[in-house]
Amino acid sequence: MLSSKPNNDKVLKIFSAIRCLSRDQLPRYLDGRLTDVERHLVEQHLTDCDLCYDALQALEKEENTDNYQDLTNKLQRYVHNSIQPVSHVQKVAQYTRKEKNKEHLLTYFWMVAFIGLGIGSIYVLRGHMRNQPPVRVMAATLPAKDSVKDTVVTTAPVITPEHNTPSATAPVTHPAETSAKPLIAANTPHPDSAALKKAAALKALQKKHAADSVKKQQALQKQADSLKKAAADKAKDDDKKPDPKPEVKPAPKEDKPAPPPDPPKKETPATAINSDEYLYKAAMVYQQQGNLGEAIDRYRRIESVSSGKYVELARYQLAICYRSKGQMGKARRMFREVIRMEGSMKSAAQQALDSM
Amino acid sequence: MQQQLTNLSDKELISRARKQRDREAEGVLMDRYSHLLVAVTIPHLKNNPNLDPNIVFPTLLQRLSASLKTQTIYKANEWILHIQKGYLGKPEKNTPFYPSRDGRDLLHIENTVDKAATNIIDRQDLIVRLEQALERLHPDDKSIITQFYLENKSFADLSAATGLSRDKLRSQLKAAKGKLAKLFMNQGYVK
Repeated sequence: MLSSKPNNDKVLKIFSAIRCLSRDQLPRYLDGRLTDVERHLVEQHLTDCDLCYDALQALEKEENTDNYQDLTNKLQRYVHNSIQPVSHVQKVAQYTRKEKNKEHLLTYFWMVAFIGLGIGSIYVLRGHMRNQPPVRVMAATLPAKDSVKDTVVTTAPVITPEHNTPSATAPVTHPAETSAKPLIAANTPHPDSAALKKAAALKALQKKHAADSVKKQQALQKQADSLKKAAADKAKDDDKKPDPKPEVKPAPKEDKPAPPPDPPKKETPATAINSDEYLYKAAMVYQQQGNLGEAIDRYRRIESVSSGKYVELARYQLAICYRSKGQMGKARRMFREVIRMEGSMKSAAQQALDSM
Repeated sequence: MQQQLTNLSDKELISRARKQRDREAEGVLMDRYSHLLVAVTIPHLKNNPNLDPNIVFPTLLQRLSASLKTQTIYKANEWILHIQKGYLGKPEKNTPFYPSRDGRDLLHIENTVDKAATNIIDRQDLIVRLEQALERLHPDDKSIITQFYLENKSFADLSAATGLSRDKLRSQLKAAKGKLAKLFMNQGYVK
């Protein structure tokens, strides 16, 4: 037992695994150029490994050695070449995948950013539109509507001259008319600019435009007529009162603008309600401008001519006109009539009556 | 990468090539055994002029690569020799490699020795058992193993002493080692 003590660890050597001969070990073993320890290790391995022993035996024959180096180099190159393209391809694929991922993330980011920007700009634009007075937009749309109105208006002047003739028969009033005309003509532009700023009064404004153009044309004709008449009349007698009734003047004169809408109504019954509305709105414009007398006249006409809800509305507005004029009795009567009609304005009228 | 892989063991390279489909590990493994493969194949190429090395080696590598993914490989050198012999012997047949019973015994003992290297208690135990097995070996086998392994005598010394050729000496050593392994493995039952 004691004698075997130094050999203790060596016993394990019997069953220790040793690597195969490397490329340079093989020829060196053949040439006997190994150290004792290395040679012993190689021989230990050779007892176990058939591959290495077969290789050794093959190389020991002289004719094989020259071919060996060449073929080994070739094979190793082949192996390297077959690996490297693959690994290179793998690397390229990995790189491209990474880049693609980056690109995807970028596209997502920009998409989100653009969507956010879009929503934000829409929000801001809306806020801007809400706060901005819509004058510019209206100004753009106005001409188109005006041209439509103009076509309607053009039909009116054709009829007016006939109505004009009766007024021409009363030459006494003409001097007064000439003075009243410019007043109205001068008045109208101011409400025009004021109404332009009100989006709500836009439609009424358009109606008024139409009415104004009619009026202007009439006024021009009248002026021309009256100038002729005045030239003729002044020669006869100049001592007539120039201002018999400035307030009453508008009434007869306003008889003329009213008929023009009427003929179209008679021509096309289908548009009866439309013309009623038209009349009503024109009257409303006068009322809003403070021209109560004319408004009352127009409402009266609506009351007498048209039917349906516009009668009620007109009565109601008449009552309000009277009230604002201070003619409380008439106003009350009108309100009562409205209540009696039992229409949509009943409650409003009742309230107004109660509050008077 | 190549540098790191060359330092790895065969086992590690095989598992990498298999699990991670690492072509580089596979290539390193082939590269490691390429010279032996060439040396082993050269006699066949000499004897059979029909074989073209430009076809033989790539096909051999393909076969190795294919079997690497499917077979259990305990020792790379045995596996490579098996594939090479199978290809050159019966090219049309693909015989799977399976280690023999003796080979597995040897492998088992090698693994236990490898594990015991860092554990003193295990190692002492292993040494005692190995010596016991050695005692029970045939005297001829025992003497040759003792001379070769414990006294570090080379093949040349032994062949000079015994008058046997190197081939015979090697086969005798191999057989003695096999017997020792068998004795060692059966010790548990003998005790």
